[in-house]
Parts: sequence; C-alpha cells; structure tokens
Amino acid sequence: MENLLVEYLPILIFIGLAVGLAVIIPIASLIIVPQKPDAEKLSAYECGFDAFEDARIKFDVRFYLVAILFIIFDLEVAFLFPWAVSLGTIGVFGFWSMVVFLGILTVGFIYEWRKGALEWE
Amino acid sequence: MLEIGLSHYLVLAAIMFTLGVFGIFLNRKNVIIIMMSIELILLAVNINLVAFSAHLGDMVGQVFALFVLTVAAGEAAIGLAILVVYFRNRGTIAVEDIRIMKG
Amino acid sequence: MPLATLPTLTPALPEIFLAIASMLLLMLGVFSSEENNTRTVSYASVLVLIVAIPFVGLVTEGRTVTFGGAFVTDTFAVYIKALVLVSAATAIIMSKDYLKIQGIERFEFPVLIVLATLGMMMMISANDLIALYLGLELQSLSLYVIASFQRDSARSAEAGLKYFVLGALASGLLLYGMSMIYGFAGTTSFDTLANIFHDAHGHVSVGVIVGIVFMLAGLAFKVSAVPFHMWTPDVYEGAPTPVTALFAVAPKIAAMGLFIRVMVGPFGELGAQWQQIIIFISVASMLLGAFAAINQTNIKRLMAYSSIGHMGYALIGLAVAGTAGDAALQALGVQSMLIYLGIYMFMNIGTFACILLMKRDGRMVEGIDDLAGLSKSNPGLAMILSIFMFSMAGIPPLAGFLGKLYVFQAAIQAELYALAVIGVLASVVGAYYYIRIIKVMYFDDPVDELDRGISLEMKAILVVTGVVIVFFVFYPVPLLTGAESATAALFHK
Repeated sequence: MENLLVEYLPILIFIGLAVGLAVIIPIASLIIVPQKPDAEKLSAYECGFDAFEDARIKFDVRFYLVAILFIIFDLEVAFLFPWAVSLGTIGVFGFWSMVVFLGILTVGFIYEWRKGALEWE
Repeated sequence: MLEIGLSHYLVLAAIMFTLGVFGIFLNRKNVIIIMMSIELILLAVNINLVAFSAHLGDMVGQVFALFVLTVAAGEAAIGLAILVVYFRNRGTIAVEDIRIMKG
Repeated sequence: MPLATLPTLTPALPEIFLAIASMLLLMLGVFSSEENNTRTVSYASVLVLIVAIPFVGLVTEGRTVTFGGAFVTDTFAVYIKALVLVSAATAIIMSKDYLKIQGIERFEFPVLIVLATLGMMMMISANDLIALYLGLELQSLSLYVIASFQRDSARSAEAGLKYFVLGALASGLLLYGMSMIYGFAGTTSFDTLANIFHDAHGHVSVGVIVGIVFMLAGLAFKVSAVPFHMWTPDVYEGAPTPVTALFAVAPKIAAMGLFIRVMVGPFGELGAQWQQIIIFISVASMLLGAFAAINQTNIKRLMAYSSIGHMGYALIGLAVAGTAGDAALQALGVQSMLIYLGIYMFMNIGTFACILLMKRDGRMVEGIDDLAGLSKSNPGLAMILSIFMFSMAGIPPLAGFLGKLYVFQAAIQAELYALAVIGVLASVVGAYYYIRIIKVMYFDDPVDELDRGISLEMKAILVVTGVVIVFFVFYPVPLLTGAESATAALFHK
C-alpha cells in the first residue's frame, strides 16, 4: 500500500502544480493587468471586418472525406508499431505478413487516388 | 485505501458498456451521439480485454484489443460516410426524423 | 532473424483466392473506362465467386486447422460456404438490370459483394474468437455500405443508417460476450474452450455464462431472430432490391453457420445453459414471422417478416442440438437445420428473382397490389411465384414442406413437443399471407400490367430454383448427403 502511494506521488505533485497554476494565472491577470473594458474587445475579430456570420456553420462535406480517409490510413500505425518492436522475434513470416498488409493498404490508396478523392476541387 | 484490481476494471467496463447501450436507445437528438455511444461500447470491451490480459498474463487479449481498435475506426469511418449520405438526402440527422419507414 | 514457421496456406486457399481477386477486381474497375466497367467487373465477380466453389470443394475429408489453430476447414465449412457463394453470385447476376434502371451502376457494387462473401467465408471457418470477429466485421462493414448504395434515395440511406447502428450494437454485444469468455476461460481458441468446458462437466463460472448470453444476443441480431429483429423490415424495405435478396440469403446462412459452429463447438457441452434461450428465440421468431407479416402491403417488408419466421424454424434444429450429452440427437438437429438452410436459399433466391421482375413502365414496383391479375398478363411468372409461395408456406410435396418436416421431426425426437406444435401452428398462420399473394395474382382484378420481358439470366435462375423446389422430393440425395457429411465433421473430430 505504501509503495502504491509513493508511485502515485509524482502525479499528485503534477495535479497540485496544474491546479495552482490554473488558479494563480487568472487571478494574477485580474490583479496586475490594468483594466480598460471596451465593447470592441469582446466582439469577434475577423481580419478587421465585422463577423460575417455565426461561427456555428455547416462546413464543407469534403472535410469529412479527408477525415474518413485519415482515420483509415492513420490506423496502420497501430499495427506497424508493435510489428517494428517485435520484428526480431516474429521471423520472416511476420515480416512478410506486414508487407502483405501494407500491399492491401496500397491497393486501397490507389483506388481512392484514381477515384479523385484526394483532389480538393 | 484499496488496491485497484481486476474487478474494478470490470466494473468500469460494465458501466461504460451500459452507458453506451443506453446512449443508443435513450438519445433522441443526434445520430452523432449514437456513433459516440458505439465507440464507448467498443472501448468498454477493450478495457475488459486489456484488464483480463494483464490478469491472466496472456498476450492474446492485447492483440484482440488492437484488432478491435482498428475495426472500430473502420466502423466509425463507414458510419460517418453513411451519415453524410443520409444528411445530403434529408438535410437533418436528428434521430426523431429517421422514420420514413415505420419500424 | 529466426526462420519463419510458415503456416500451411492450403486450407485457406479459397479465401486467399477471393482476397486477391477482390483487389484485382477493384483495380480492374478503377483503371478501365467509365462506360462499361460495371458490366465487366460484375461478370468477372460472378466468375470469381463461381471459380471459388471448386476451390472450397478441394477439402473432401476430415478437418484441417491452420494459422495457429485460428482457421479451420472441414466439410461443415464447405457446405455452408458453397451455399453462400452460390447466393452471392446469383445476387450479383440479379442486380444487373436493377442497377441500370435505378441509375446506380457503379463497379464497387460487385466488389463489395465479393468482399462481404470473403468475410462470411472467414467467419464460417473461424476457430478462434478473434478470427470470428474479424470475419464478421469484414462482412458487416461491406454490407452496411451496399445497404445504402443508392446514394440519392432517402430510403436507402435510412436503411443503411439503421443497419449500421443496430449492426454495430450487435457487434458490441458479441464482443462484450467474447471478452467475458476470454477472461473467465482464459483463451480465445475454440478447441481449447471446448476442452475446458468438457473437463468442467457443465459447471462453469457466472462470467462465462454472461459471456455466452451476450454472444447469443449478438448472433441473434445477425440472423435477425426475435427479440433482436427490429432492423430487418426497415432495412429490407429501404435497401435496393438485389441487396435485399442478398441480405435475405447469404449473411443469414453464414451467420447461422457461425451460430452452429460456436454453439455446438466450444459451447457444445454447455447445452443446458443455452438451450432454453434458443427455444425462446425460436418460438418468438416463428410467431412474430407469422403474425406481423399479415398486414404488410410491401412485398419486401413481407419477405423480411417471412425470413424472421424461417430463421425461427431453422433455430429449432439448433435447439435440438442443445441437448447436451446425446451426440446422435445433436447431429440430427444440426443436420435438419442445414437441410432447412439449403432449401431456404433456393426458395428465397427464386422469390427475389420474381420481385426483381416486378416492373411497370420501366420502373420498379414493390407493392403486393401491383401483382393483381398477374396470372392473366404473365402466367409463367405467376405460376413460378405461386410455386415459391406454396413452398414457403410449407405445402406438400414442395421442398419447403420437407425442410419443415425435417426440423419438426428432429424436435419430436428430442422430445421438444411444444416447439414442434408451435412451429406447425405458426406455419399454418404463415400460410395465410403466402397464399394471399397467390390469391391476389389469380383472383384480383388486374391493375396496370407489369412489364414483360425476362432476361436470359433471370429465366435461368427462376427455372433452376423452381425445378429444385418442385423436384426436391424425388431427388433429395445431394442436399441430404451434403448436410450429413457436414454434420459428421462437427461431431467426429
């Protein structure tokens, strides 16, 4: 039980620091900084113009496509990393299994490229 | 103070799983929340698998968790794609509106 | 680097072939010219699926395990895989005209069906929880996409969305059950699980039982058995019709095969724990399939309830297989179920071929009323659809009757009399709505005529399925021996 508590001590210190900073900085800015309230300071800033519209807009569906493609190709790392670490013990079969996997991913990549999913316009 | 053991992880996973299932059935607002609930269910399973893997000293659970993780991402991608198609047709993703066909 | 221990790849040859072929098909589609690539890829996909059947059939005897015990090939897998491949190939053939009419001719459609088939074959051959899950997900993810394949139709998109949400929930339930079984039994391998439960003599921890219950719920979702059937009518109605035809056959048969393999394999010794649940699911499915279909006006929705009912009848066989300790009786249950599934495949393919021929002025119609007076405008089609409807209703001497006879006989042998009696009552009620369709075709006043003209492929499908249904009673041997040797593989290791 003692050991457990000792192991968690750095986390406790970290939490203490985080809470302390989070309290001190806003309070300090409240006390030290000269306060000159102005309505303009609260308005939305958009390159010197007034804001055109609400920030909560529907944005282009193409972002979804990019996000979806990203998820798919991001995932191979979940397999590549353990594979790279254990490459010494898994042998030639392990090596070629991953090459086959990457080959399948490449086929998917060629497909989306040819389909024009990577073109923005 | 008590030791964090297998049962704690299992209880946590069970709570997350239940939250996920209820999230699917009680949510009346937005399909995105349903997809988040599905992720929650899969994460609960992953906690289970990793906890059991550590408890049994057996690697298979962690390997299983990796596969679940990957499939979950694929599932999320396809779910989002279907949702985009649905939104283009109907202009809404509110759960109450998904009822052209009674069911 | 240590020398590889390369697993023997030959047992998985059909799967490897399909995997490589599906990628080649994808490349073929994306690199060939726009106008004709759907036709080319469709024909190539059908060819690939048909070529895969002899590959599957290479396994003749015994039981081969490979990939560290995660993958098994036996005659049981061969039987189910052959059914799945045939139904997937016919679904692609039947989709040709439909896709053109609806303006959704895209080459991804056949490729996705091939991928879904690959997933089904992997889950049928799974001998490990991880392999099971991956196969199941490959199948499900492909099917989610083709359910919403008609992108400009709100109904198709809604069907895809519903199928996705409930399918993902089912996968979640199944996975949670798997994680419990892994944790409390300590392994994911079916063979090891079977040994553990054999040594335990039916005494297992609560965790394992919770796991089995969750897995049962997940699998029941996949075969759309009551009380997990909610998605079926909506998805069947909304999805494009050839997709519905596929859904009604291939994934159902594959999931049933998985159901048998999981329940009879690792959990075979625990029949006392799960038999009651299967009996309940079976009774509920038969009754709901019989009563909920009565008021339907859309023929695809009607077929959804019909398939729920048929799954109930097939599950009678699994309930019989839950009689732990009596291997002969268990084998009888599984065998009757396999025969039922085979007959179910022919009936459903034929019926959906008829539904796909329901066109008026070049547009698809799917109301039951649209069939009125079909006997006058197109007597051939009316006759063959009547044959399928009589067979579904279980009128002797058609194949559907014999299928029901086999499962009811198995139930009586296992002294599950209530199950058999409820089954007979449900099929009497069910006969009402099947025969109503025949009444509409023969005795109602004709509305506007349906289009004539049946393509050669459709004619071939209708004739073959019709002949099988009518003449099964005279020559049932191929299906019976197939089912028998498939069952033998499960019980004599």
